[in-house]
Amino acid sequence: MKAGGVAITGVGETPFIRGSDDTVLQMIARAGLDAIADAGLTPADIDGFVVNQYTGHGSDELAHVLGTGERRFAAVADSAGGTATTGHALMLAQLAIEAGLATHVLVPYAIRSTKPGGVYAFHANEPHKAAFEMPVGFFAQPTYFASMANRYAHEFGMTEEELAAVPMTYRAWAALTPGAQKREPMDLDTYRRSPMISTPLRVADCCLTTDGGGAYVVSAVERARDMPHPVVAVQGIGLAFNNWPHGVLFTQKPCTFEFPGEASAQRAYAMAQVGPDDLDLAQIYDGFSISALVQTEMLGLCERGQGPRFYAAGHGMPGGRMPINTSGGHMSGGYVPGINLLIEGVRQLRGQEGQRQVPDGGNSHATTILARN
Amino acid sequence: MGIPIYPVHLEDPKLQGFYDGLAAGELRITADTETGEWVWYPPEIVTGRPDATLEWRTVAPIGSAYTFTTVVRSLLPGDHKAEVPFTVVLFEPDEAPGVRIPGVLVDADGIEPACGMRLRLKPVRAGDHIIAGFAPAQ
Repeated sequence: MKAGGVAITGVGETPFIRGSDDTVLQMIARAGLDAIADAGLTPADIDGFVVNQYTGHGSDELAHVLGTGERRFAAVADSAGGTATTGHALMLAQLAIEAGLATHVLVPYAIRSTKPGGVYAFHANEPHKAAFEMPVGFFAQPTYFASMANRYAHEFGMTEEELAAVPMTYRAWAALTPGAQKREPMDLDTYRRSPMISTPLRVADCCLTTDGGGAYVVSAVERARDMPHPVVAVQGIGLAFNNWPHGVLFTQKPCTFEFPGEASAQRAYAMAQVGPDDLDLAQIYDGFSISALVQTEMLGLCERGQGPRFYAAGHGMPGGRMPINTSGGHMSGGYVPGINLLIEGVRQLRGQEGQRQVPDGGNSHATTILARN
Repeated sequence: MGIPIYPVHLEDPKLQGFYDGLAAGELRITADTETGEWVWYPPEIVTGRPDATLEWRTVAPIGSAYTFTTVVRSLLPGDHKAEVPFTVVLFEPDEAPGVRIPGVLVDADGIEPACGMRLRLKPVRAGDHIIAGFAPAQ
């Protein structure tokens, strides 16, 4: 793949709320049409799709709903969470465009976290969880990630104040973001009043419950120059997988708090020919404070084991040396896995963010590095 | 500290060996019958060896906590308010390094749970069934 060969030319989102009347399909349609209009296109111009298997809606259905043109390319990103929406789908879109299989590829996504059974219901279908974990109460992400946090603290040290600095950082950005779900200020006392779920993680350490959708359009950079917005090119994409499926991921992996983020970051940096010191801001998947903190280290924004100190020093805050999750992330902005972080990165690079605009923005990085071109 | 009450659901009857062990006061995990290596949790297919078979073997019930968490608000399906808080540990048997067995911390009043704490198996009753419990070891 060529660094800077494609651009994100259109982005769209629904409002992020808890308890939407919309179905996933309706949210995808709203976000998709919003992204197409933002790109200055009509639905008939879209000739490629990368869909997400977790939405339950394939490209046949989406093309019909959106009224798009003849599909010359369609693919499914089968990875989970933000890996699919921000890296895997974007990589497939770029490959299709570079191969001449499509001109404008739409990547749509939506989640309905308030569905019956909630977002954790699928864990109960894992035979090993049902047999060995649920009977002893080891169940659902807040508990899994809490056990990771305790192991991390054992290995590297982490105080309550340092852990609290992660959600406090993202909340400070959300306070500047009109569409963020949680905008009320959070200080240490507020954090401590947040209900404990599994020690040491409180409600404030967890991503939000969100019903919402997001979508973006990918086009060749040459075409993007004639489209409405400043060109935001894809400079680097890195994917990495660890081959530990969900049934054993949270218990049997040698180090439970390790993610393949270091490998994906190195691949993205190599493709973009930049390093962490070149970045102006970062959007990091913050399912939980502990996982965001660990990924901050894996991206090279601070030394391994120093994430707690990095956040406690305010480096990710507005005015800090490395602004992180500038629309509040998943913990205060809204949880639409990965895609709203990517969209925020695009908008920052367009220079559209008003009060929370990071000055001199040039690069953004999740597993993807974007640059204004 | 409480004990979570939630049914054991064994989709695959081959997983029963773990609970047969607890009923006998033993800790049993699965090993590859040919290589003798521990394979845990017992998978449908051993990595790269679809014809491999597993057997249940008893290990010494002593080990340490890889990690832990105290659940204050249980997210298990159903109402579990009366059972919280309880502390879950991931127990590593000394004889099977790298194997992690989830269990409830018991007999630990006044003891702060910690990674690396020494533990010994102590199966406990949870409603109408027995689950894996681990107590601080001297």
